Amino acid sequence: MISPSRLAHGPARDPESAEPPFSAAPVEELLRLISKAARAHQLYLPNNPIYRRAIDNLRAGFAPVWVEVDDLVLTITESEIRWFNTPVAGEAGNKSSDNLAWLFYKDGVRGLTFTKGFEKDEVVKFLGLIQRARKGSPDEDDLVTMLWEADFSFVHYAYVDLLQEGGVGELADGGEVQTVGPGEIQQGTHDAVQESRASGIINMADFDATLYFLDEREIEYLHAELKSEYQKDLRIGVSSVLMDIFESQQDPEIRGEILENIHTLMVYLLTAEHFSGVAYVLREVQTTVGRAVGVTEQHRQQLVQLAEQLSAPEALSQLLQALDETPTPPPEGELAELFDQLRPRALATVFLWLSKTQNERLRPLLQSAAGRLAAANTSELVRLINASELGVATEAVRMAGALKTQAAVTALGKLLSDQHVEMRRIAAQALTEIGSPGAMQALERAIDDSDRDVRVTAVRAMTARAYRPVLGRLENVVKGKRVRDADLTEKMAFFEGYGSLCGEGGIAHLDSMLNGKGFLGRREDSEMRACAAIALGRVGTAKAIDTLRKAATEKDIVVRNAVNRALRGPGSHES
Amino acid sequence: MSSSPRNSAETAARDLSLPGATGEGAGDAHVRRAGRQLIFSAYGALRAVKLYPVENAAVQKALDEVTHQSKELIASEQELELRMSGEFIFVNQTRLRLDLDNFASFSHILSLFRASGIGRLTIAPSVGPKDWLVFLSVLQAPTADDPSDRLDQLMAKLQSAGVVAFTFAPPTQQGDGDQEKAKERAKRTYTQGVAATRELMASVRIGGSPNIKKIKRVVQGIVDQILSEETSLIGLTTIRDYDEYTFTHSVNVCIFAVALGKRLGLGKLQLYDLGMSALFHDIGKSRIPQSILNKTGGLTDDEWRTIAAHPWLGVLAMFQLRGTQEVPYRAMLVAHEHHMKIDLTGYPRQIRKQQLGMFSKIVAVADGFDAATSRRAYQTVPFTPAQVMLEMRDNRHRGMDPVIVKAFINLTGIYPVGTLVVLDTFELGIVHAVNPLQDMLSRPVVRIVSDAHGNVIHPGTLIDLADRNENGVFHRTIIKTENPERYGIRVGDYFV
Repeated sequence: MISPSRLAHGPARDPESAEPPFSAAPVEELLRLISKAARAHQLYLPNNPIYRRAIDNLRAGFAPVWVEVDDLVLTITESEIRWFNTPVAGEAGNKSSDNLAWLFYKDGVRGLTFTKGFEKDEVVKFLGLIQRARKGSPDEDDLVTMLWEADFSFVHYAYVDLLQEGGVGELADGGEVQTVGPGEIQQGTHDAVQESRASGIINMADFDATLYFLDEREIEYLHAELKSEYQKDLRIGVSSVLMDIFESQQDPEIRGEILENIHTLMVYLLTAEHFSGVAYVLREVQTTVGRAVGVTEQHRQQLVQLAEQLSAPEALSQLLQALDETPTPPPEGELAELFDQLRPRALATVFLWLSKTQNERLRPLLQSAAGRLAAANTSELVRLINASELGVATEAVRMAGALKTQAAVTALGKLLSDQHVEMRRIAAQALTEIGSPGAMQALERAIDDSDRDVRVTAVRAMTARAYRPVLGRLENVVKGKRVRDADLTEKMAFFEGYGSLCGEGGIAHLDSMLNGKGFLGRREDSEMRACAAIALGRVGTAKAIDTLRKAATEKDIVVRNAVNRALRGPGSHES
Repeated sequence: MSSSPRNSAETAARDLSLPGATGEGAGDAHVRRAGRQLIFSAYGALRAVKLYPVENAAVQKALDEVTHQSKELIASEQELELRMSGEFIFVNQTRLRLDLDNFASFSHILSLFRASGIGRLTIAPSVGPKDWLVFLSVLQAPTADDPSDRLDQLMAKLQSAGVVAFTFAPPTQQGDGDQEKAKERAKRTYTQGVAATRELMASVRIGGSPNIKKIKRVVQGIVDQILSEETSLIGLTTIRDYDEYTFTHSVNVCIFAVALGKRLGLGKLQLYDLGMSALFHDIGKSRIPQSILNKTGGLTDDEWRTIAAHPWLGVLAMFQLRGTQEVPYRAMLVAHEHHMKIDLTGYPRQIRKQQLGMFSKIVAVADGFDAATSRRAYQTVPFTPAQVMLEMRDNRHRGMDPVIVKAFINLTGIYPVGTLVVLDTFELGIVHAVNPLQDMLSRPVVRIVSDAHGNVIHPGTLIDLADRNENGVFHRTIIKTENPERYGIRVGDYFV
């Protein structure tokens, strides 16, 4: 237990005249190591080797001292730390927080005693305290308070209370009492005794004292109460109280003050990364807006604006930046609660951060939050598809696809003419995910896109959805020359699509490609023939199978394999 | 007792005038754990011995257990000494941690040791179940001995039974000098508390942003004081300065709340949280016009409404504070809830229902007690402490938590500190402290302030009402409580 001592004057124990029991060298070295470790604590993270070395050295530095004594009693002066009146640390005239002596002295600490065991469990906590004291503003706790709260087991301190100067003031009951003579007093006591004897009430001492012992059940109850006291969410409690006061007090001045406090509280909650608390405030603000009577228009606006303010790019960027930098992202549920309360304008900022965050733990959280926000604000999502920032538009397109936002089809369709290939690709992908007839219709012309990926995406989407209106375009491609220059994947995509949609009407063309001979008896190249076989497999009718069988003994291994796979049924070519 | 590294640390700390330097943390974890286990075992054995015949298996098992625990400690520590100090038990210089899990057993053992005049108990390695059986039986046997003889009697009984494994020493008496120092410390803590509260409220009143560093220091002082020696500080709550009511009341509520919290087993930092909340509970009054606060006549409805606004005004006032790493959320809730009843009625009205916190309930009891027993602008004749206690206990409409009220009565005794009592000897006494013997709550330590002839005595002598004569009859018994003003006695004068 830490045992503070308040001193009227001077140092705690200063054996001015006593001889030191051993050389001061190990103590000087120890103080040097404390300074060094305090610096390392300030500069490095705990897993840094320099930091760890400094702590290890400091711990080791206690060993030679403990060989000699069980406790190290230090006196703090303005600029020096003394041990048996010998300066062991500090520098005369140095009144900066670098000087440990001054750091402690200025807050009133006049003596420090370390006892054996300090180096094991409390050294890091002590260094943390020095760091806090060095970085703290004058308004923050001083070292005496910090030492008290730290409740060290192996550090004792003595201090002068700089905050509470002045001696013991006058203590007196200010009430006047009338003077009563001995006779009156005697009469009074005799009356009291007689009365009580007469009425038989001399039983006050017979109170059963055990009535006041707490039984097991009561102790358990107190246990639960204490647990609940420390488990309850104080910030939410205070938020709730503020909102209650707002609703019950109609004085505009009071309400104005409460609004300021709610605003302040929101900032504190955000700073503390208490997102569910922020969500609670925003939710309750809505309730208050709907319930409170006599609210002025100005105050109503202020209430409503809270969520708007947090959704504004500047504020939300701060929040997202904090999330990006935090080593421990909040639970998804908490963030979800908050994002549920944000306004549509928040979506652009969230998309922007989604497009640029490198934080792999944050990304899924943001994605999920953005999903909910977008789902609840479709028109904003559609608007953002055309956003000028590429990052925002890209994420909006992806989200529209992921959410299968039908309302986004037109905007996405337009993007298929975008000059950026990447944008066209994700737009095609999004339309594919939406998969509605409208989306397919928009995708049709993507079959003729200049980019191979866009084309493949489009044709696969329409194949998957058996979108017959595209058959004509596919036939043009399959019968045209362009497909011959395409890579195998694209060729296959087109032929699969064609085969899926053409029915028996396409068999003749496919047969001629697979089995036919052209000018001078030349056949089509192997890839084209293989693709035709795949397409015939997709047609799958008896006539198509017959056509395939004609090529079953084909010598060209590429073609033969394709034919055999097609004969085995749909999907077999994929192996 | 062999010397150990801790001993020299303890000496050094004493040289530094550090009270209670052998804190619980200074001992090693093993002793703390094994020590607690020993106390639990001893408590279990005490109950078993009391409830069952010796041959009963439960008794044998309990005695084996306490023997085992003591031997194990002796084996690891080479010695075993139990020392009672205030409300704490030390095992080989290590203070055992007191909490909600164990305070009943600790309290019972402390009470028995006190009753028998035991300050220190050294247990020899040879201790066996039979030794424990004899010792525990003698320890809880009813006695009518004079307190100064109790220990001698106990040792004689053990000796005649051939039990030599225990060595006893009486409690270390606190010297007059120490008592004076403790009183001085208490006075300083109290006056600084009042001054800091006055400064805080004045600052809030003028719309300033008070720094609460001083308040923190005051609460730390109160917690330290209550943990080391609570009597002096509790005594000062009787002052109830009329002119400084709001400030002394806040400090008094803080003292009562922390003392009650300690009784309920709260840790040091929890007591600090509680103390901060208690000290701030009426801060909202700093935003109420003085003319209303100090009005002596009856209050109009509007004025009552204004007074009743202080809980929520307190929440707003605390947003004004600066110098806090953390907004005092807990204190805000306590300020807001301290006039609410456990069924959530009272004031202010809750719209969003939240259960009252434990600290709010504690502060409500401390606040109710101090307010009702104080003279205020609109209450020139205060109630007696006993009246208030009974009202809090019996009138459920007050809406106080019955368990916390019960614990409060346990803390303050049936006759709280500062109560003026008439004794059957025709003397007047002021209750000075609760009797340390738990079953003597109705027999506090009193200061005789008037003799049988009505002569006022100052400072008066302290008398333990649990003392009996050779026939086992109590020397003095309380007849009734009285209003000090009737006898021209100013209670606060006896505590300053």
